[in-house]
Amino acid sequence: MTGRYSRRSFLKGIGLAAAAGGLSLSGLSGIKRAAAARRFQDLPRLIYIFPGGAQPDVATVQDALSEYMAERIGATIELRAIDWGAFNDQIGLINASAENYDLAFTAPWTNNYYSNVDQEYLAPIGDLLPQLAPNYWASMTPETWEAARVGGDIYAGINQQTFVKPFGPYIRADVLEAIGAAADFNGLSSYDAMSPILAAVKEYVDNDDTLTHVTYYLDTIMVAENWGFDPVDGLLVVKSTDASAQVQIFSETDEFRQGAELVRSWLEAGYAPNDPATLGSGDEAWAAGLFAMRVSDIVKPGGNAEAESRWGVPVASKAIAEPLLTTGSVTATLNGVSSVSANRELAVQFLELVNSDPVFYNTLCKGVQGVHWDWADEAQQLIKPAGDAASFGDTGYAPNTDWMYGNVFNSYYTDPTQVGAWPETAALNRSARPSPVLGFTFDRAAVDTEVASVAAVVDEFANPIRGGFADPATAIPALNEALQAAGIGAIRDEMQRQVDEWLAAKA
Amino acid sequence: MTTYTQTIRAQKREDTDRLMNLIGRISVHLTLTILALCCLVPLLMILSASFTDEIALTRNGYTLIPSEFSTAAYELIFRSPTAILRAYAVTIFTTVVGTIIALTLMSMLAYVLSRPDFVFRKPLSFFVFFTMLFNGGIVPYYILMTQYLRVQDTVFALLLPYFVVGFYVLILRTYFAGLPEELLDAARVDGASEWRIFWSVAIPLAKPALATIALFTALNYWNDWTTPLYFIRNADLYPLQYLLYIIQSNAQAMQIQSSVGMNLGEVPTQTARMAMAILATGPAAVFFLFFQRYLIRGVTLGAFK
Repeated sequence: MTGRYSRRSFLKGIGLAAAAGGLSLSGLSGIKRAAAARRFQDLPRLIYIFPGGAQPDVATVQDALSEYMAERIGATIELRAIDWGAFNDQIGLINASAENYDLAFTAPWTNNYYSNVDQEYLAPIGDLLPQLAPNYWASMTPETWEAARVGGDIYAGINQQTFVKPFGPYIRADVLEAIGAAADFNGLSSYDAMSPILAAVKEYVDNDDTLTHVTYYLDTIMVAENWGFDPVDGLLVVKSTDASAQVQIFSETDEFRQGAELVRSWLEAGYAPNDPATLGSGDEAWAAGLFAMRVSDIVKPGGNAEAESRWGVPVASKAIAEPLLTTGSVTATLNGVSSVSANRELAVQFLELVNSDPVFYNTLCKGVQGVHWDWADEAQQLIKPAGDAASFGDTGYAPNTDWMYGNVFNSYYTDPTQVGAWPETAALNRSARPSPVLGFTFDRAAVDTEVASVAAVVDEFANPIRGGFADPATAIPALNEALQAAGIGAIRDEMQRQVDEWLAAKA
Repeated sequence: MTTYTQTIRAQKREDTDRLMNLIGRISVHLTLTILALCCLVPLLMILSASFTDEIALTRNGYTLIPSEFSTAAYELIFRSPTAILRAYAVTIFTTVVGTIIALTLMSMLAYVLSRPDFVFRKPLSFFVFFTMLFNGGIVPYYILMTQYLRVQDTVFALLLPYFVVGFYVLILRTYFAGLPEELLDAARVDGASEWRIFWSVAIPLAKPALATIALFTALNYWNDWTTPLYFIRNADLYPLQYLLYIIQSNAQAMQIQSSVGMNLGEVPTQTARMAMAILATGPAAVFFLFFQRYLIRGVTLGAFK
């Protein structure tokens, strides 16, 4: 009786102690948070808007970043993620209604950088950057910074990432081994030389039960970079070796005809499906194991590991196009300061932190150490999900968009096979040939009508040629005729005028 | 003799009439069948795709009967069904509450506008009519909602925009104006107040018009995805249609991403997207089939009074 009683009271005691402990713990953290909030209260709060899904645990990361910033630049941060599907509409309205915010993600492909500059939604920060963000400013060459310059000033910070995107073929490692063409594949230097490999792969595919075709599509072969051009705007290109920067119409060049004939012959040989539209997105078809190759895709350091995680099979790749630094590739990811922001200087200081301080940057990208991630190997900068979470997605904070926030070369590796990819990529960026028109951006305002009608012609005539679905012998002249009728000559002349002006101003 | 030929002729005429009638009926049925198929087949395709194995779908494309039956997509979604359930709750709430409030406001406004003895009838009618022709555009609308009313990221942002729709007010006003003035006078003689007349005489008589407007308003709320696109950032307040839109457009955004060489988290697979569409629209479609006759009865109710 007494024994039972004492055991019960003992258990009760444990329960009480645990409850008290829990109380005091939560009480403490509550007090700590309140104190932190009080400390932050008087500091200016920067609002940073970017596309992405809501992360369940964003508050923890926001607090950690604010604490870090409060000590260094005397400001705090509010992270505002807007769903991808709504981002462009919402940020457009926020800008148009002059709603207050400080920083936003901008690019030519979403929240359009150039129209933002045009509408004066973004603040000029060309003078502030070298002054308030010296490390960030020094981390890229002056030519690179030129790419973000619009009409004399810089309106956004560039996120350093894989600027140089040479195209080349990817092939499944098992197929490559089976046809015994590894040496030929690694020695490839032009697309013409690929034909024998493709023929061998085709034979393999025909004898395989799962594989249906050599490749899913062929049209990426026809990107201008593959043929040594900088695609300044649509079909208007400049040869990468042409210092005088003559604007050419891509479809009128010999390279275009050569490429079109190659693509046509490969489609006729049955290397790609005649009706790719019904197959869904390329990734799903790859994951389903229907294709042995991608004839032309972006080849980059760590690209094979990334491809393997997307498609589920080990792959080999080989860059064919010459690495070229173009305006488009540099300005693909930017962060601008709002023109209504009352804290321009602080916003630029935030850009300095996020682009040059790996601890700060990785907190934003990967979350808080010990809460969302832990070191797997600190020397190699390799991290793993914190605690017993199976993947980063289960930790409550994994936006997985490092390239959106800042310099990706500072980001920690999440996959052992990726280790070492960033220094290689940085070297590739530095070694790339700058396009003769790097930093030039085309102002379409004077030829708006022509641009619209040319776009319609491209959809109708050029896309079939790119995919190999039309005979180049008749289709290319028809395309060029239609382009001329749509006014591509006027666009070319206008662009040439702007390029010449730009070159003269630069000299 | 004449009568005989006459009957023969009449008979013949009747036959051709019947034949024409038959042809007419067949052609009408045929057209309607084709139209119905145009609506049904895509829905069935989605249903079938949602039950197809992911790899089989990529390999064989969309078919009316699943090429390889699988419930993997639904299992994936029901592992965390909160988003869809929440979206259902939000949509049902805005549809029910919004329709009730909107109907109350619009019928009161319309009734007042229909009364010839109301002093400001003309200017107020013009005010309502004017908004049908002209509006400030999206940016002033956004500024009003976010900087003056400050309803962004609240459920009010979803409710407010359809409270008073000019066109519906005018329909109701016309209906109220058509009610016999004598009825209202009789009520007045009996000592009824204005409130009493409105609630006990005008409203019951206007049931057919109210039912129609209620249906339109409910559909507006149910199908609305642009309002949340502008004003809602909190994922807990996503209505159903918007959730679907977000899922689809996130997948599209990923395609833009990969074309500029970036990768973007995880996106539901094709079959999961189809399953999501079925879960979002399916129950609503079934409800509609079930309630359709009540709705139609509601619309025609009182028409013979």
